[in-house]
Amino acid sequence: MDAVIRTEGVSKVFNAGLAGEIRAVSGVSIEILRGQITVLKGPSGSGKTTLLGLIGCMSRPTEGKIFVEGKDVAKLPERFLTTVRRKTFGFIFQHFNLIRGLTVRENVMLPLYPTEIDGKQMERRMEEILEKLELTAKRGVNVGKLSGGQQQRVAIARAMINEPAVILADEPTAHLDTKLSEDFLNIVTALNMDGKTIVIATHDPLIYDKPYIDHVIEMRDGAVREAARL
Amino acid sequence: MKGHGRIIEYALSTLARRKFKNFSVAAVFSVLIAVLSSILFLMHAYKTETLKLLDNSPEIILQNMSGGRHELIPTEYIGTLSGIAGVGQITPRYWGYYYDSLTSANYTLMAFDETMRDVKPIDGRMPAADGECAVGRGVADLRQVGIKDDIFLTLGTEQNVNLKIVGTFTANSAILTNDLVVLTKADLIKFFNMPADKATDITIEVNNPAEVSMVARKIRRTFPDSRPILKNELLRTYDNIFNWRGGIVLIMFFGAIAAFMIFVWDKATGINAEERQEIGILKAIGWETSDVLQLKFWEGVVVSLSSFLTGLILAYMHVFYFHAQFLAPVLKGWSVLFPKFEPMPYIDIYQIFVLFFLTVVPYVAACVVPSWKAAISDPDSVMR
Ligand SMILES: Nc1ncnc2c1ncn2[C@@H]1O[C@H](COP(=O)(O)OP(=O)(O)OP(=O)(O)O)[C@@H](O)[C@H]1O
Ligand SMILES: [Mg+2]
Repeated sequence: MDAVIRTEGVSKVFNAGLAGEIRAVSGVSIEILRGQITVLKGPSGSGKTTLLGLIGCMSRPTEGKIFVEGKDVAKLPERFLTTVRRKTFGFIFQHFNLIRGLTVRENVMLPLYPTEIDGKQMERRMEEILEKLELTAKRGVNVGKLSGGQQQRVAIARAMINEPAVILADEPTAHLDTKLSEDFLNIVTALNMDGKTIVIATHDPLIYDKPYIDHVIEMRDGAVREAARL
Repeated sequence: MKGHGRIIEYALSTLARRKFKNFSVAAVFSVLIAVLSSILFLMHAYKTETLKLLDNSPEIILQNMSGGRHELIPTEYIGTLSGIAGVGQITPRYWGYYYDSLTSANYTLMAFDETMRDVKPIDGRMPAADGECAVGRGVADLRQVGIKDDIFLTLGTEQNVNLKIVGTFTANSAILTNDLVVLTKADLIKFFNMPADKATDITIEVNNPAEVSMVARKIRRTFPDSRPILKNELLRTYDNIFNWRGGIVLIMFFGAIAAFMIFVWDKATGINAEERQEIGILKAIGWETSDVLQLKFWEGVVVSLSSFLTGLILAYMHVFYFHAQFLAPVLKGWSVLFPKFEPMPYIDIYQIFVLFFLTVVPYVAACVVPSWKAAISDPDSVMR
């Protein structure tokens, strides 16, 4: 199976040269295989979020190489990085990062606004996704009025609207109860069935103990401790 | 709708979400523009009116002076004047001021003559026989009279005249005609009790404009008591009064400062954590830096342009429909110069452009520039 993402000795140093210098990620070499569900696990502060941001082209590494679809993105100018980010990745943020004051449909379609995709197609895609996530009835509701679980489903819908190959989720169950966490995992496995590659950063045992997780990467102090292929 | 169009749409929805802030900025902006352009409109209208008035005026107006005061001028001068080389048409004018106690206003009474060729009645005709008159719009409005009505003027028990209105008129210039009552020469002479051999002043056309001052010198030599008033000198004097280049710089400067203060205030309360977070989110979900800056650009354009236009419209209505009521106390000096002046809508496009570049442009810049930093930084900050 081919790797959608491959890193070679990737490090991220914050506040380099300053008193508060932090090596959040240190010499990480991993592979994310196409069509698999991969979990980044590790205690708080171990560098999961930082690594997720690096492979999702949200920031650039201090050292090392990151290959997305075989292309090294570590030194790409920011404009190209944005293009890679938009075409390849859908993010589900820990705090959802929905835009307050906007409705569900506006939030979901937001990533497509600057693109050349035409309005009708955009609407069609949105309706389809809302249907899948049982959000159709909430279409016109301000996201601030939704429950946590609903907000997360909106965040998932937004991550899907670009039809990305890879979906990245950071601590997706941190704000959900067990029932909602199970719901989330059902959605994720369904997406995976549709062929999406999934990467989840989490320290929630509920997730990484699941049988359908293909790959667990364990992190400690910014480094990979163990990469178990299940 | 695609790309750019949707970004503009989103800019509008973003503005709507921050209704209060944007509305208050727009209100202040509009008022600022309204005040500044009221001043500009008014000054420009005064200037245009004055220059127009002078444009219609003859090359030389000859007054008779006695003890430094303006006196009636003997019409027998005309024979001598026409003998001066270069002199064209000579016309004696008969006119005077009349205070109308009924309406507490000053009218100008003038005998119909050749110099009034530019005054066209909008209604009716000019007086042709004694007992007839034509009145300016201002007089007609004040007296609430129109064609076929009578108008009675009195200077006391002896000197009265009852006139039938046969025409109302306007000309290119509001100043010229508003307070004017045109009657026949005979009626005017009778009313003001003027001696038969005198006129109020004499207008002199000069065939070759280059010879005007030479002609004036000759006149002064021939009639030492007379004072020739030259159109050129008047133009120069008025140009000094309206030395608006100096004035305008001051106004613009004030405008720029005020505009600057608005957006500084706006930006100080400006790109807060929430807005920065929002920019981060947009970038994280695939917006490019240029898309974000475009968004901010349109937000700035919508607020500043709509405020600018609102301000202009307010100023236009204020100056040209409501006769600059709010500015009148500030411009007391002008209202002495032009009693009952109702400015005609003349607008100097150049001034509007200058105002635009000093307010709208910096405002838009102030919207885009602070977002720049947020827009170029990596969006990973939204991940925590
Ligand atoms: N922008 C930053 N500036 C400075 N230090 C940072 C920055 N981002 C992360 N760090 C530090 O890097 C380390 C790794 O952080 P990261 O958020 O990646 O860990 P994590 O595994 O996601 O933790 P958690 O489980 O709490 O989310 C932490 O010590 C954190 O304080
Ligand atoms: Mg984290």
